[in-house]
Amino acid sequence: MNASFKLIGLLVVLFIAAPLVIVVPMSLSSAPSLQFPPPGYWLGYYAQYFSDPTWLRPTFNSIVIALANTVLTMLLVVPATFALVRHKFWGKSLANIMMMMPMAVPHIVMAIGYYSYFGQLGIVFSKLGVILAHTCLSVPITFLVLSANLKGFDRTLERAARSLGATPSQTFIHVTLPILRPGLLISSLFAFIQSFDETVVAIFISGRNAETLPRKMFDSIRQDADPVIAVISTLLFLVVLAGLLAPHVLRLTRRLFGRPATHTEPRS
Amino acid sequence: MTAVSENPVRTGSASARPERASLTPWLLLAPLAAYLAIFFVVPLAQVAMMSVTEPTPGLGNYEKVLTSPLYRKVFLNTFSTALLVTVCCLLVGYPLAYLMVHTTRRRAMMILLLITMSFWTSFLVRTYAWMVLLGRNGPLSWVFLQLGWDEPPQMLFTRFASTLAMVHILAPYMIMNIYSVMQKIDPSLVRSAESMGARGRSLFRHVYLPLSAPGIANGSVLVFVICLGFYVTPVLLGSPREQMAAGLIGRQIEEFLAFGPGSAMAMVLLVVTLVILAIYHRRFGLDKLYG
Amino acid sequence: MTKFTDPTGLSRRSFLSGTAALAGSAFAAPHIARAQSDMLYINSWGGPWLEAATANLFDPFSAETGIEISTVSPVSFAKLAAQVRTGVYEFDVTSLGGGDIVRANQAGLLEDIAAPYEGGVFENGVGSHAFATVLGWRTDKWDGDAPQSWADFWDVERFPGNRSLQRYPARILPLALLADGVAPEDLYPLDIDRAFAKLDEIKDHITVWWTAGAQSEQILRDGEVDLIGIWHGNYFRAEDAGAPVAMTWNQAEIERAYWVVAKNTPNMEAAKEFVKFATSPEALAGFVSQANYGALNPAANDFIPDTAKPRMPTAPENYPQTFEQDMLNWGGDPEEVSMRFEEWLAY
Repeated sequence: MNASFKLIGLLVVLFIAAPLVIVVPMSLSSAPSLQFPPPGYWLGYYAQYFSDPTWLRPTFNSIVIALANTVLTMLLVVPATFALVRHKFWGKSLANIMMMMPMAVPHIVMAIGYYSYFGQLGIVFSKLGVILAHTCLSVPITFLVLSANLKGFDRTLERAARSLGATPSQTFIHVTLPILRPGLLISSLFAFIQSFDETVVAIFISGRNAETLPRKMFDSIRQDADPVIAVISTLLFLVVLAGLLAPHVLRLTRRLFGRPATHTEPRS
Repeated sequence: MTAVSENPVRTGSASARPERASLTPWLLLAPLAAYLAIFFVVPLAQVAMMSVTEPTPGLGNYEKVLTSPLYRKVFLNTFSTALLVTVCCLLVGYPLAYLMVHTTRRRAMMILLLITMSFWTSFLVRTYAWMVLLGRNGPLSWVFLQLGWDEPPQMLFTRFASTLAMVHILAPYMIMNIYSVMQKIDPSLVRSAESMGARGRSLFRHVYLPLSAPGIANGSVLVFVICLGFYVTPVLLGSPREQMAAGLIGRQIEEFLAFGPGSAMAMVLLVVTLVILAIYHRRFGLDKLYG
Repeated sequence: MTKFTDPTGLSRRSFLSGTAALAGSAFAAPHIARAQSDMLYINSWGGPWLEAATANLFDPFSAETGIEISTVSPVSFAKLAAQVRTGVYEFDVTSLGGGDIVRANQAGLLEDIAAPYEGGVFENGVGSHAFATVLGWRTDKWDGDAPQSWADFWDVERFPGNRSLQRYPARILPLALLADGVAPEDLYPLDIDRAFAKLDEIKDHITVWWTAGAQSEQILRDGEVDLIGIWHGNYFRAEDAGAPVAMTWNQAEIERAYWVVAKNTPNMEAAKEFVKFATSPEALAGFVSQANYGALNPAANDFIPDTAKPRMPTAPENYPQTFEQDMLNWGGDPEEVSMRFEEWLAY
């Protein structure tokens, strides 16, 4: 049983890894089309990506939208999470479910809703519209991550601060926030990525003034399979890889320089 | 991803605190509640409204969606594909999760890193990668040719392609759910079962499988529900013959401006999804789902 | 498509308008102000169309008037309808083929327009150019044997391989009838049932139903399919990219494309000015010469170099082999046929 499990495991690992790896050689291929093995290698499509406004503009739009989405989401979700984790009140379980709902509704359903609704409001095809829609969709994941963090929060520290004479706001700023910082950072990251990757709603409402990168990629894959997609795929993949490896590298360097790792490291 | 900590002791201590002005939670919650009302509930209500008013008031769209052969076929496709994808994810995910629990820590970490990487990589990128892999001049066809195959089979733009890609995209959800449950299985339980004579298959079926069942349930519900609403991957990799519900909804809107039937179909999809999640919520609690 | 004028559309719009107005008033104003900028938005067909239009129509127009042009794609009839209905404009000008323009004008989606040259207006569109759907194939198959007609396209015994057609019944139903032996002069009005029956025969062999010109070019160039019904402009791009491909003008389907202005667009003046410019003899000649289209303004022919002519569907040696689409005598309601086609596709 063990040997066969290992073989299956190996195959599954291969299955998961292959699509992630294949885009790298494809992005370096000199062929104007999907051809394997590549007839030659060059960096031409990288140059094309970094000089073509029809690709750079959506990239820029996506970053702006994702940043605004993150700020707005955090402003709304942080207080709500405190309410839901730290207080008891009538209707709390309903509120809890409400926070999760945007995750349960298929994006295509929301896409039609926004397409029609934002049309009436006059904000369809604008960045504002995409930001407002994405913020809704970012609420559940941000709330989940943040509430998990807040539940694990040791409140004796806050009480200690209060008993030493700190006002509630001083306690919040000097004790609560610093301890919650990793949780806040991670939930912001989730909100950012949720928006940056969101495709379906963006396809329907991002239009001419707010075209996002996923929408541009979707259109391009559907239409001309521009080889630049392989470049963007590789870049996005490398960003993820760097993000995931960063903590390991940091820990390694810390260990090399003999400094003890701090205990506030985020749980994976 | 496994960050949902269950710590009833701490949450309990929060409620032990003397209840002061009960207005505070409401004030904290109000902005988000208002926001969701305006930008989540209203657009959803509008979809519901359009489904019964476009182009003429009445239930005509629902009648069409539930009885016309086209819609029925598409819904059937949607459910069978979601089921197939869920089963495949299970077949792929269970052995891997098992392996991760029973292999060296180092190896488990490597696999975990790979899965996390896949999870975080945009699913458009992964869809595109499958397009590259399965193309007629792609690596897989190349392998077939090297193996002496004259005419590699058509893979791209088939149900096979879209299913494979969806399994790849959703497998991390399944694996992480099963893995987090398996990790908590007490090895001494398994050992004592072994000492009582349970071996191989029977040990697995009577001890291990029931203990890991919650992970299977979690993962399956999650994969199934996400798959029901999948738009991008089937549209890009599949064929119109195996269209899924979301794809047809999109086409209704984009090509035919048929908001009525499109909305009715969306409502059916929504209701099915919510019913599945509601049943799940009753049993396990929704917040466990997206652990 | 009666819904654009349907009063029930209004009742739906008034629904929830309380909330909508409340939340919307804050955002709506800046949007409208922005819509009247010096930017003209044009719906683009992409590929060779866009390249030729940018070089010969957009850039010169901007240089002359100072009005910047930006493009959005893909061309979509539903988008045109949606923006008239919602009042939010994604593009001001688009060009429609014969299949869509009758539909669009009947639904009241097009602004009235004056003819910039004699006989230049059809259904509120100004005639721009003619393009063709031609039969193209890979030459690296079948040992030199080559298909010559739509009947050959249907012949899966003699020409085994992957096939592709556009996901657009108005263009492919006539091809099916030709393959079934109908003479070009007897095509219209179309026998729609017969065309679907003929399509049944080929269905299992169509691996891709293409939806964008660039996509058809890519799948032919990359060998994803072996035979294809493709717009001639995209075909020539695949050929010029060095792909082993060939085409025939025999039974090519010619369709006319028209510039139209979206009804009530906030950029009306600039939009009309652009349409006039784009159909003026010299600009049009440059455009069609680069993209191999046939010019619909006869005056443009004086400016077209002879070297550009062989690849035009309207060239004297090509035109007699082709047939023209006839939307006024088409033989059915395009909308209904489109829905029937979608249903047919799903099985």
